[in-house]
Amino acid sequence: MEYFLNQLINGLCQGAIYALMAIGYSVVVGVVGMVTFTHGEVMIMGAFASYYVFQYCGTNLILGFIVAFLASWVMGIFVYKVCYERFFNSPRHISLLCTIGFSMLVKNLAQIFFGPNQIPMLNIVDIKFFHIGAMQISSLQIMIIALVVGLALALNYVFYHTKFGVMLRSVSQDKTAAYMVGINVKRIAMLGNCVGCGLGGIAGLLICIYYQVVQATMGGALGMKAFSASVLGGLTDVRFSALGGLCIGIVENLGITVTSASYRDVFAFGFLILVLVFKPTGFVKKRGTKV
Amino acid sequence: MKKLSMLLIVLLVFSMALFANGNKEEEAAKAEGFKGIIKIGVLGPLTGTNAEYGVGFKIGTQMAADRINAAGGANGYKLVLIPKDSKGDPKESSDLTRQFCDDSDIMAIIGDFTSGCCMANAPIVDDAKIVQLSPTASNPKYAGMSDYCFSIMGRQDGEAPFFAKYIISKYMGLKKIAMIYINSDWGVSAAENFRTAARDAGVEIVAEVNYVQDEKDFSSLITKLKAADPEALIIMDQGAVAQVINQVRAMGWDIPLTTLGPGTSEQLIGLTGANSEGLILSTPFFFDPQVPELMDWKNEFNEKAKFNPTVHPACAFDCVYLISEAIKSCGDDVTREGIRENLARNQYTGITGPIKFNAEGDITRAYLICQVENGQYVVKKGFDYSAE
Amino acid sequence: MNMLADTKKRAEMVFDKHKVLISLLLLAFLVLLPLISNKSYVMGVMCRILMYATLAGALNIINGYSGQTCLGVAGFFCFGAYTEAILATKVGLNFWLCIPLAGVITALVGLLVAWPTLKMSGIYLAIVTLGFSEIARLLALNATPLTGGALGIKNIPVPEFFGIVIKNSRSYYYLFLVLAIVFIFVSNRVIKSKIGRAWMSIREDELASKSLGVNASVYKAFNFMYGAFWIGVVGCVYAPYVRFIDSTYFTLDEGWNILSMVILGGQGTFIGPVIGSIIVNFLTEVLRPIGQWRLVAFALLIIIMMWYRPQGLAGATDSKLAGNKMVKKLQDRGKKHD
Repeated sequence: MEYFLNQLINGLCQGAIYALMAIGYSVVVGVVGMVTFTHGEVMIMGAFASYYVFQYCGTNLILGFIVAFLASWVMGIFVYKVCYERFFNSPRHISLLCTIGFSMLVKNLAQIFFGPNQIPMLNIVDIKFFHIGAMQISSLQIMIIALVVGLALALNYVFYHTKFGVMLRSVSQDKTAAYMVGINVKRIAMLGNCVGCGLGGIAGLLICIYYQVVQATMGGALGMKAFSASVLGGLTDVRFSALGGLCIGIVENLGITVTSASYRDVFAFGFLILVLVFKPTGFVKKRGTKV
Repeated sequence: MKKLSMLLIVLLVFSMALFANGNKEEEAAKAEGFKGIIKIGVLGPLTGTNAEYGVGFKIGTQMAADRINAAGGANGYKLVLIPKDSKGDPKESSDLTRQFCDDSDIMAIIGDFTSGCCMANAPIVDDAKIVQLSPTASNPKYAGMSDYCFSIMGRQDGEAPFFAKYIISKYMGLKKIAMIYINSDWGVSAAENFRTAARDAGVEIVAEVNYVQDEKDFSSLITKLKAADPEALIIMDQGAVAQVINQVRAMGWDIPLTTLGPGTSEQLIGLTGANSEGLILSTPFFFDPQVPELMDWKNEFNEKAKFNPTVHPACAFDCVYLISEAIKSCGDDVTREGIRENLARNQYTGITGPIKFNAEGDITRAYLICQVENGQYVVKKGFDYSAE
Repeated sequence: MNMLADTKKRAEMVFDKHKVLISLLLLAFLVLLPLISNKSYVMGVMCRILMYATLAGALNIINGYSGQTCLGVAGFFCFGAYTEAILATKVGLNFWLCIPLAGVITALVGLLVAWPTLKMSGIYLAIVTLGFSEIARLLALNATPLTGGALGIKNIPVPEFFGIVIKNSRSYYYLFLVLAIVFIFVSNRVIKSKIGRAWMSIREDELASKSLGVNASVYKAFNFMYGAFWIGVVGCVYAPYVRFIDSTYFTLDEGWNILSMVILGGQGTFIGPVIGSIIVNFLTEVLRPIGQWRLVAFALLIIIMMWYRPQGLAGATDSKLAGNKMVKKLQDRGKKHD
């Protein structure tokens, strides 16, 4: 029984990581209205930035978060200028292919400049363990789960109870209409994109601390998981994307327990495809935007 | 359509340009006093996941070539190495092998790093009748694929049984062990051999899990292994060993750890810090601080590569010498076939130890037991079972 | 851009005038090429170009002609190659019989992938194909009794054609050449038929074509199956060419590689993927010395292409692929009348 619960906790923590990535992702896609494949690279850039700051300024976690957020914010500006701004009125597949090209660009440049090897990220956070019977959870895992819940609630508040959030939602629903009521669509879209990317940067940093390694090639796989989790949330809803992430994490881990880790992605994608077949809009009841 | 024909012409011109370059090197070598040049192709993953080892190949082989050439060359011929990046991708490796085979100046190929790439190249070198000498391929099925396939790493069905019998059973005296391995051709082969040998040695594998390349989260796997209550854990991989070690300790599990695969990798200690204290592993070769020429070699490598060598570049180094010896045995008539015959026949002792190929084209190695003490690798003397 | 359009127009005019002559000349050149240059390296590159031209062409049928976005080519390729390898090594089936079998099996897999997503918008299909590609690869990695697992399948037997053993690059060059020609020929007939027109109308505006009575779901599914069929056939020929396959041959990177050929060369035309294959493979060889910067160069090319010519170098300029939306074109036409 405890074994099962331990695995459940593992799944929950893995799912919390996916949820963290998915939150940033759904903010980006929700506001900009275009699917992106670059989120993985954006996250890893944030982690790399913090890594180098840690090398020179010591390992201060708060500093790391700020640096990761800013670095990914800046990257978000680049992504926006290159992949989105020009294609607001074009067929969707063009910006999609452009983001694929951009992610290839960043991935290979990162490998050239940072090297393709794993770079250790040790001892950033002092890990304490808490035991409840035979179950165990670490302070890092608690931090991640708390951050996910906190961010989901905070973003929910911003989106539904502030003027800025209203602007974001209107841009995501119908850009022409938002333009007509006087909203600076381009600026709001860029802001929303950068906020999502910044959140992605924080997620990337936490992930690297959790796995204790940062590597230039990590982006692709992480981006795919963020993408899948977000799809379960209809691509735009933050709360359900987080929920999607948690579900994928749990399903994956339970699947691995029964078979082996080689099947991890089979469970993740299999689950995604199953949900899509039976409920194409994911967990949400109706979609807010046309993607 | 017109573009197609234009392109083809450009391609032909380009490939001819490649060929033209070779003559310049020949003349330069003759000016230096050599009889001529002999080219050896070097294949390795200079980029990608195993880049550390590919770069190690490049530097290790160049060190050997430099020494041989400084001493007058192989029978008066200057050795010129042509390194190419196979990225660890069998397709890329095969394409480059085909390029090498086509270039009649190239007399032998050293590489590739993974058994998968080497096995993909086997039919090509067999057709072209050129030697493929891999410093590190350890899949027992590789060397038998062709008369022209050789490897000096030592077979998986030598190291894994050694590990099971001598390290786990005799040295550590354990009965129950858990296994975690990478689901790749190397890992599956190592696991298979270990399983058989463990059964023979009376060691029970209470739990085993595997994972694919690029896996980052081992927590559920570790939980599964922990639940089976083993006495020790064996990790079979090269790239992710550090990760596994770190995550095992991060989960608060202080079980004795052993690993098969990375050898005495300095990078491993760097990536794990204090977590790898007490780690036990097997290695066919060790840079013994007591032996000055090994230390000199290690320092020279470190200067050139900016990282410390493992056994892999040392094997690459020995490979060049092996080819050089084969060239010497050929006398004046150096052909690809001649190199192959003499390579199979010769006996040589390199920095990694004695090398004599068996009928299939690989060798059986003797292994040492090493342990990490105070952040350094220490050979356990007096446990040299290699004689058995 | 005007220069490109002019060159293209001029090339098309010349081509139209002397269509038969040029085609025959080109065919003769391709057939006699191995006699001009017997270097196995050149033959190897030509084999790659031809093989990828067919793969890109098949992907183009899906992405370019029906407007669906398939990102998981590698998965179909994996199915085709493994089918041949398994049938040839375990059952001892003749290579020539494997070809249609591999094609049909891959087509059925294509149907399985496409069917759940027919009613969803394009992006969901893209995700599902991506997921499918990874699932295919992981199944190949793990289904050890069938696929050899991590060890792959080796010693795939070479095919024979009336006594001639097809073993070296030169023989495979002819095989790939014939395959490419058959593919282009057959697909040309299909595109010019009612089926092709239905596909193109779905691409331009699915809702409008449905309102005209086109059963979009059926045509989209068939389109997917058709593309998958040819990818499977190429996979079938690929397996004995490399003699050894394992799951690492069919990663997502391979899929991006083929996709980039379609993007760069052109979507929605026949010559597009061929040009894409030539460009990408040629650049791969020429840019080898610069190592990883080569991939950076490709990525930049893709971005530039999307910015200035989304339909690719030789793509269908008068379609949605070029970034025009039907509405805008109708508006323009309306303006002209004023």
